[in-house]
Formats: sequence, structure tokens, C-alpha cells
Amino acid sequence: MKDLKSFLSEIDKCVKCGTCRSICPTTRVLGRESACARGKLTLIRAYIEGELEMSDDYTRHVKECAMCGGCRDVCPAGVKTTDVYLAARADLVKVNGLSFLERMVFKNLDSTRLMPSVLRLGARFKGLLFKAASPAEAGTASAIETDTGLISRFSLPLVGGGRLMPTVAKRFFLDLKEVRRLGKRPKKASSNTSETASVKVAFFAGCGVNYLMPHVGTASLKCIERTGAAVSVPKGQVCCGMPAFYTGDVETAERLARKNIEVFEEYGYDFVATSCATCSHGLKTVFKKLFENDDEMRDRAEAFSAKVRDITELLARDLKPVKTVEGISPTAPESGGKEAVKQISVTYHDPCHLNRNQGIKAEPRALLEDAEGVDFKNMKFACSCCGLGGGLSMTNYDLSIAITKRKADGAIASGADVIATACPGCIVQLRDAMQRYGVDKKVVHVVELL
Amino acid sequence: MLSDKNYISLEEIVGKEQVSASKEDLLCYSYDATNTTYLPDAVIFPANALEVSRIVELANLRGFSIIARGAGSGFTGGSLAVSGGVVLSTERMKRVIKIDEENLTATVEPGVITWEFQQDVEALGLFYPPDPTSKKISTIGGNIAECAGGPRAVKYGVTRDYVLGLEVVLPTGEIIKTGTSTMKGVVGYDLTRLMVGSEGTLGIVTGATLRLIPKPESVVTMLAFFPGISEAAAAVADIVAARIMPSTLELIDSFSIKCIEEYDPVRFAGVGALLIVEVDGRPESVKIEAELVNGVCKAAGATNIETATDKRAVKNLWKARRSISPALFKLKPNKINEDVVVPRSKIIELMTGLESIGKERGLIIACFGHAGDGNIHMNIMYDRNDDAEAARASEAVKEAFELTLSLGGTISGEHGVGTTKAEYLEMEIGSVEVALMRRLKECFDPKGIMNPGKIFSNKSAVRVT
Ligand SMILES: Cc1cc2nc3c(=O)[nH]c(=O)nc-3n(C[C@H](O)[C@H](O)[C@H](O)COP(=O)(O)OP(=O)(O)OC[C@H]3O[C@@H](n4cnc5c(N)ncnc54)[C@H](O)[C@@H]3O)c2cc1C
Repeated sequence: MKDLKSFLSEIDKCVKCGTCRSICPTTRVLGRESACARGKLTLIRAYIEGELEMSDDYTRHVKECAMCGGCRDVCPAGVKTTDVYLAARADLVKVNGLSFLERMVFKNLDSTRLMPSVLRLGARFKGLLFKAASPAEAGTASAIETDTGLISRFSLPLVGGGRLMPTVAKRFFLDLKEVRRLGKRPKKASSNTSETASVKVAFFAGCGVNYLMPHVGTASLKCIERTGAAVSVPKGQVCCGMPAFYTGDVETAERLARKNIEVFEEYGYDFVATSCATCSHGLKTVFKKLFENDDEMRDRAEAFSAKVRDITELLARDLKPVKTVEGISPTAPESGGKEAVKQISVTYHDPCHLNRNQGIKAEPRALLEDAEGVDFKNMKFACSCCGLGGGLSMTNYDLSIAITKRKADGAIASGADVIATACPGCIVQLRDAMQRYGVDKKVVHVVELL
Repeated sequence: MLSDKNYISLEEIVGKEQVSASKEDLLCYSYDATNTTYLPDAVIFPANALEVSRIVELANLRGFSIIARGAGSGFTGGSLAVSGGVVLSTERMKRVIKIDEENLTATVEPGVITWEFQQDVEALGLFYPPDPTSKKISTIGGNIAECAGGPRAVKYGVTRDYVLGLEVVLPTGEIIKTGTSTMKGVVGYDLTRLMVGSEGTLGIVTGATLRLIPKPESVVTMLAFFPGISEAAAAVADIVAARIMPSTLELIDSFSIKCIEEYDPVRFAGVGALLIVEVDGRPESVKIEAELVNGVCKAAGATNIETATDKRAVKNLWKARRSISPALFKLKPNKINEDVVVPRSKIIELMTGLESIGKERGLIIACFGHAGDGNIHMNIMYDRNDDAEAARASEAVKEAFELTLSLGGTISGEHGVGTTKAEYLEMEIGSVEVALMRRLKECFDPKGIMNPGKIFSNKSAVRVT
């Protein structure tokens, strides 16, 4: 990763026209210049030049951002704002280190043992701090899914009062028997033989799917298998590292990326698929950046990244649904037509990491439009940020959930019953917002509707 | 410098959270779209007219200056604290108070963002036409203070044509109401018109009653390609002379096209000049007008005329158009950006004149803008670090202004004078008129605390008695 100082010329491309103000979700809520890119770049520049110290205010302003990338996308001068922010965040970590909690979490993200046991322990004592949410509070359809989430009883550090927290799954995705079966390492030599007639997909779970939403993982596997492709779920895979990366902990992000690349290299695959927008963005675009200065690792990262697909992209573009393959029954009968199936009205929220960082916008919509029983409607502000990202929901929950208000409004205006999206992070945030703003809508992953 | 005593008094008015003198906040309110920097002594975020009134009253009493600021998208340095003082941001005053569907008026606070307000009224089938290209960020208060115009001004006029009445805090602290909420009104002097375009030097707008009209039923957007700027300029003059009333008539020259080529690499590459033409109204009449425009453009030498068929294409086109101004920096690191206006029959002379000024001095002068009302944004591109080039650029500005005035034009159509044009004011305005304007300023603002250093060239405007 490049040093913060080397971004001076990038910052100087900003001509202060203020166009970034038009799209920035934090500026909309805070109504302060320090929230938008024009302000942040000014502060970062002053800090680099030694005009400003690493004050509390500076630190706060650098962190007060959901890293949605909206400013980068609208900037007429083409300033790569998010790259500058990331470098500034990495610099914060370099100088000040991580907070105790961040350290605890990030340093253990690659442990396939410790993280799960901590989470399990947490799950056991959750009653002390949280109460179970009713399905209405949770904005989730019991028909689609049973876990409703938890509402915090008190204002907790990193959590905040009245916040709907997702429940930790009873059994983690990667521990499920049927998933572990898919982790069997193929004999390496066989990867080029004729038995590889069908397309091979290696599935990357990610923490959201693994710990919180295993059903999204299993639904994804079903969708892939339905096309006739062969799926593996490589054993030993760890967190994608993006939470650490966005906090500025590049070292952890590198470590995790390396580990994941190594694990996947053990398997033969045509595609690496994941159902988390943040993971697919990380695997596809960030890994390469992490190894900018390491030729050998960069090549390996590039080879890996070239195969990465978001699940919506994979299903809509790369894999053709094979509805008639025997034994893998298609979900809906060909007869009867659309009218015969009960229609639920569904709208779609664009995760920033999918839409802005990967340009994937049409694919999930196409899947929903084609899905049996789904009446798809676009919603207003579909691509405005949910507010969770960039660590904002941890560092400034009040701001983060205030940003989501716009989504709740958009959901109401859409008239849809269900909001579909393609990122467990967004799902967590949107459910919380629906509960908080009293909107009776279910929030699900696209794959759950296919 | 602002004394501790004054700072504490300000805190007492708005609360500790809503005033700041931290280095971070000062830096963030030190610039506008001119990309120049002046650190204020403090920034304050009042919630309503009463607070504004108390702040200004204090400033007048204690003798520190107040600079109103909307979104800081101004192009003439209007919101900059050029001699220190307190920047008063209207970012918290952003309520649309009322949209009166029976009388077609709306009442808003000054910090409302132009485009968001337009979305609100259009949802009700109404229309607020003034549309500066910066509409997605600029505020109604800033628009009023600069009398902003935009692409639609050619048919619908500028901000001043839609302001019925104002609530203003005078530099001495009183809250006054100007104008009416009726369509007409002639009682007393027209203070509303005086305030519109006064660049925050005569008072702070804390509320506005705006005129709305019914939203046009349909719009057709056309894009005409020309081999060169003179053909395009001729087409503009011909459209006006043919008594066609387009709702938009935007000109883009080849330098500007180059900067936005990425929006449509296939069609924009190597084009000499573009016109964006829109006609709006009832579908039947729109169709006829579109055909007329087509004919005139062809006759003037257009090589191709496209009619946009879907909304996405139109949106993309306007996005490209809005990006020109900031994207010009791809040509040179700095620009002198002026928005001269000439009678529409003289646009060709202006364009060719500017072209030769550029050639003679070895400078790129990129031109685009609301040609339909004779308003051209000319951008003299240069490098601040190249002294010789910078000197040539400033000579070119003066020459361009002389050309504009000789054609019967004005040196600013909508961006205002601010600091950047203050030294040229007297090129256009006679000494008697300037003296009258200064007396007006003194009469409103005897202590010179309200946005000093703007419009009138520096020292003399700030006369502290
Ligand atoms: C990319 C771009 C395109 C632009 N296109 C156009 C265009 O097409 N047409 C056009 O006219 N302008 C255009 N502008 C210029 C600018 O956006 C306008 O002048 C706009 O009206 C400024 O609004 P603002 O809220 O940003 O005001 P600011 O820049 O914050 O302030 C401008 C002036 O208004 C005063 N002011 C602000 N609020 C108040 C208030 N409440 N009471 C009294 N005074 C106040 C300030 O003191 C200052 O003098 C453009 C600017 C940019 C960056």
C-alpha cells in the first residue's frame, strides 16, 4: 500500500467545486462541510503538510464516512477519494494503533477456532444484554427465515441502545455437515482431467454468511448447483479482511488475503463465488492492491481475483440455469405460468460495494425479474448507501443508522413487501433500520428468492 | 481575530455545538469553488432567523464581520472570509416550509438545496425553473444572493424572476420582510429586487417566498453536432431570430468537449462544437418546435442532429454538461472563469473574438454555456506557477471584457462580482452609478460588517467609522 504523502497530487486534483456534497450520505445527515470529500481532502492535505495535527477532530472526520464511494463516482475532476481516505485511515492506525476491541477482533479473524468460540460464548450470554425481537420488529418474514435478531436492552459500547443486532447462528455455515462435505480437497492432479466437464465453482462464505446467515450460504449453493455446476467450499478459508482494511489495519488485511489465496489454490475452480458484496469487492479488487509491492504475491492475487464473481453476477452472466437437469429439480414448474404462483412484491437495494465498486447493478435486478413469484419494482434511492460500511456502524452508530433513514423512506415509497439485496452487511443494517423506523418490510438476500 | 468574549457571546446565541473555531472547521469553511483559501475566525450554524438576527446584531455592535455561506459553490469568492470574520453557514436552515398549491408559491429557508426543492415541487406537478448547473449542491439563499441563472433561463428567466418576497436580516440586526406573497405588488421601493443579486453584502436572506409555474408536460432534448464553433454560434443566433423559444440552448466548444469525452467517447471524439437544445410544453407544440430547431441547425451547418429518446441518455448528457466546468482542469491546472453575456445576435463576434485573443496570447480559452441567452462561460486556462502565462491570462481577461462591453454586453451574467471581478467593476459601471451603489451599501451597512471586500474593490468598501 502506498504512503499517505504520495496522495498529495491526487488531493490536489480537487478543484473544490463541491459536487461531492450532492451525493454524500454523511453530509446529508451531518450538514457539515467536514463530512464531504471536499472538506475531508482539505483536512488530509493540511495534515500531510503538517499544518494540522492528528487531533481528535481530524481522526473523527477521517472516520466519519461509510466509504460508499459516491463522491469518487461523481467527482468531475476524477479524484480517487476513497483511496485517499484509506491511506489516511491506514496512517491513523500506523500512528495510533488500533483500539483494544479492534485489535481483539482483527487479530483473531484468521483463527478458524477462536472467532467461532468467542461468538458462541457471546451467543450464550446474549440474553443479559439483548432481548429477542418479534418478527415485526426484525423486519423479517418468518416464512422465509426464522431468525429474527436481538434488540439491545441498554446502550452498549459499539452497539448503542435499541439496536437490532443479528443473532449469531446456532450452527455456522462452514460447520454444516453438507458444507463440510464440499470442503474435501480434490486430488490436485485430477483438476485437468476430463471429469471436469462441468463448471467448477469454489464458494467463499465470508463472516456474514458463516456466522450470521448460513441460510444465505446454503441458498447460494443451491442456486449454483441448480445450474449443473460443481461446488466446493474450500476448507480453512477465513475472513476476507475488508473490515480490517477499511479500518486501516492493512497488515491484518494482507495476512488474511494471503491465507485465503493459499487455501483456494489447493482447489481447482473456474470461478470463486461469494454472496457478500463486500467480500466479492475485496477478493476481486482489493487483494491485488494489497500486494502492490510484492511481485510474486501480486501475480497470485491477480490470478485468484480474475476468477472472483459475486453470486448475482455468476448466476446472471456466467452460469446458465439448467432447469431440466434430472435430480436437481427446478424450483417452479414450467406449466401454470407466472400468474399461478403467488406474487410477492420485491424491491432491490444496491450495496455500494457491488454497484459502485464493481459496477454490478443490472444482474441482481435481472435475476429478480426472472424469478418465479416475484413482482419486481425499483425503489427510489436504490443506490444510496445503507450507512453500515467503512466501519461507521461501529465508530458512529447514530450517524450510521441516521443515514439508513433514507432507505426506510425509499422502501415505504416503493410499496414493495420485501427488500432484497446482495450483502449480509446491508441486510443487517436495513433490518435494524426497518425496526427503528417502524417499517414493516422484510429484508432478504436475492438468492433466497430464486 | 475574534476575541474570547465575542466567541462566548456567539456560543450563548446558538449553543456550544453550533459554533466552532477549531482549525479543522476553519479549514473546511475557508474555500469555495474558486479554489482559493481564506481562514475565517469562526464558523457558526444558526437554526433560524432569530438566531441570525442576534448574531448579526452582535457583530454590528462589536465590529466583527459576518460572511453568509450556502454551499460554497460560488465562482466569485462571495462566501470567502477575505479579511477574517465569522462565516455564517445556512446548512441547518433547510426546511421547505410550505408549498401553496392553490396560489403556486412556496416558502423556504435559505439553506434548501435547489434541486431538492425542485424535486419536491415537481412531485406536485409544479415547476421552479432556475437551474444553475450547480443545482444539486447550491442553495436557494446562494442562488438569490447571486441571482443565479441556468440553462433554462433562455425561456424562463433567472432567479430574480421567481422571487416574490424575502425575509432578510439587515446588517444592523433587524429582521425585515420585503415584497409580497402575491403575484403583484408595488407598495414602496422594490427591496426584493435590490436584495436579489446583492451577494450577501446588504443582508442575510433567512426566508424566501418563491413563484412556481405549472410543470411543462413534455420535453424534447436534441444534440446537434457542428464542425466548428462559428457554425454553432450562428445556429444559436438563427434560432433566436426565427422566434423559436427553446427551454435550453447550450453551447459547448471543442476544448470543453475534449474534457468530457469519456462520457460518450464514440460520439464526442473530434467534434468541433455541440449544441444542446431542449424544447418543452404541450406535446403537439413541442413536436413542431423540435422540427423547426432541426431545420435551423441543419441550415447553419450541423452535421448531425440527434433527438434523445430515453431518459437515461438525457441524464447522461446533462451529467456530462454539468461536469465541464470542473473537468476543464484536465487542460491546465488553473483557470480564470468568467461568464460574460452579449446580445444574442453578437455571439458569433464574441466567439471569434475570443478565439483570436486566445491564439494571439497562446492560451486555451475554453467556452461553453447558456448561449441561448447570450451567456458564455469563458475559461482562460493557465498554470499559476508559470508567471509569464499567468500574466498573459490576466491580460486576456481584460481584453475579453473590453470585447464583451464593446459588443453591448455585461461582464457577468450570473456568477456575480465577488472578489474576482471587483477590480473590473468600473469598466462596466459608471462612476456616478458606482458611487450610488456605495452609498446604498453604507446606508444598509454603516459599519461595513457584512461580507466586506466584495463587489467593490477592497479597502474602500470596508469603512469602519
Ligand atoms: C460546477 C458549477 C456550476 C455552476 N453553474 C452555475 C450556473 O449555471 N449558473 C449560475 O448562476 N451559477 C453557477 N455556479 C455558481 C454558483 O453555484 C452559484 O453562484 C450559486 O448560486 C451559489 O450558491 P451557494 O449556495 O453555493 O452559495 P455560496 O457560494 O455559499 O455563496 C455565494 C454568495 O451568496 C451569499 N449568500 C449565501 N447564502 C446567503 C444568504 N442566505 N443570504 C445572503 N447571502 C447569501 C454569499 O455570501 C456569497 O456572496 C456554478 C458553480 C459550480 C461549482
